[in-house]
Amino acid sequence: MTSRRQLLKSALLGGGAGVVAATALGSLGPEAAFGAAAPDVAPGAPDPDFAEGRIRSVKENTLLVLGSNMVFHRIRIVDGTSLWKLGPTTFDQAKPGDGLYARGVRMPDGVLAAEAVWLNIVNIKGHVRNITAERIHLDHKGQQVLCHRVPGKSVAIYSDAPPSGDLSLLRVGQHVQVMGAWRPDTNEVDIATVFSAH
Amino acid sequence: MQGIAALQPYVISLFLLWAALLKLLDRRMRAQAGQTALARLVGPARAVPALRLVGVLELAVAAALLLPPPSPAEGVAAAALSAGFLGYLAYAHRVAPTSSCGCLGAHSRPVDRRGFVRAGLLLAMSLVAIGAEPYPMDPSLVALGLAEAVALLGLSAELDRHWLTPLRRLRVRLRRPLAPPSPGEVPLEVTLRLLYLSPAYCSASALLTSDVQDTWDEDGLRFVVYGAGQRTAVFAAPLAGGDPSAVRVALTEVPALT
Repeated sequence: MTSRRQLLKSALLGGGAGVVAATALGSLGPEAAFGAAAPDVAPGAPDPDFAEGRIRSVKENTLLVLGSNMVFHRIRIVDGTSLWKLGPTTFDQAKPGDGLYARGVRMPDGVLAAEAVWLNIVNIKGHVRNITAERIHLDHKGQQVLCHRVPGKSVAIYSDAPPSGDLSLLRVGQHVQVMGAWRPDTNEVDIATVFSAH
Repeated sequence: MQGIAALQPYVISLFLLWAALLKLLDRRMRAQAGQTALARLVGPARAVPALRLVGVLELAVAAALLLPPPSPAEGVAAAALSAGFLGYLAYAHRVAPTSSCGCLGAHSRPVDRRGFVRAGLLLAMSLVAIGAEPYPMDPSLVALGLAEAVALLGLSAELDRHWLTPLRRLRVRLRRPLAPPSPGEVPLEVTLRLLYLSPAYCSASALLTSDVQDTWDEDGLRFVVYGAGQRTAVFAAPLAGGDPSAVRVALTEVPALT
């Protein structure tokens, strides 16, 4: 891991071996930005390279996932797959019961080779009903959602201040949007980002 | 007991009077009538007339309770109205669980346990009021009446913004339940927000195929690695400072494998 990091660092800072494009400062240039092909999906059709659902079982490097439309997906995690669970995480954190969104490449055998997997990610809007020890009680359409601050991870984004780990400017009664990681089968969420209108 | 029974008509009637006047006079409440469970019960077109009818009923019962002479029929009418409220709340809770009740002013909160307790309390008070006879008031009875009124108001979610929200704000200001972060600690999400704003990320984002694969801090910089197809994109963002143009990126042939 360390040697790979050193390789990547030298690519960035010193123009090491294998560099395709790099910048001392600023952007790569338009040819890089327009180099990616547009996704080839007809409007309204399901995207074959996307899957969502809840993990039923984990076998070796494959997740068996039951979609909300009752379709089973097999999702293969490879070395280059990014996993998110309140932040970048490792494969052993993917547990049966976790909800997920996955994007990747559909193989001829139907398996989705995942490029990115987001575990338990949720995006909720609501009113702050109360704030107690390291918790925000959110009223989401009449349902109470308990949002936990996770030190070192949770970030607040205010409209008039740079993002920071300081959530203490949030007020009871205000409207917020919370992105975070759901704790499966509860009404509790660990906060990744809370967006505040002021 | 006679004194307690004689007290109830006053508390009930004042509460009903307030509810009736809100229903009959509050323009906001009529505007939101379509979002209440009443609209579900009688149809959206008839929600406002139904709201007015309930208001008139409440006004009539309140007037009968307040004006002498006392009669058991008044208590029975109040009990019937309260039982009707309870039935309506049960209906709203079952059939339209996301609608508000439209009981006391406009708000968007659905029917909850406090609404049931309030209607139950009103019913109990009405039943006691059936046996009311003229009785001289004394300070202890006035205190009980005030306590009942406070209980009814405290159980009204419609009024929370006037007392509960400021009270909670005050408690948050005093106790500071969300501790400030330890200094020097920069959560990854802060760096990512800076990254998203940077020209470097904007120029490379179309090539990225994964979310964050790896990240580490070194020499005052935070390195963030993304997969870009068969290649790897590595960003370096300053840990301190918020200048997006200081972010650098390199696209390398180092495969996305460890």
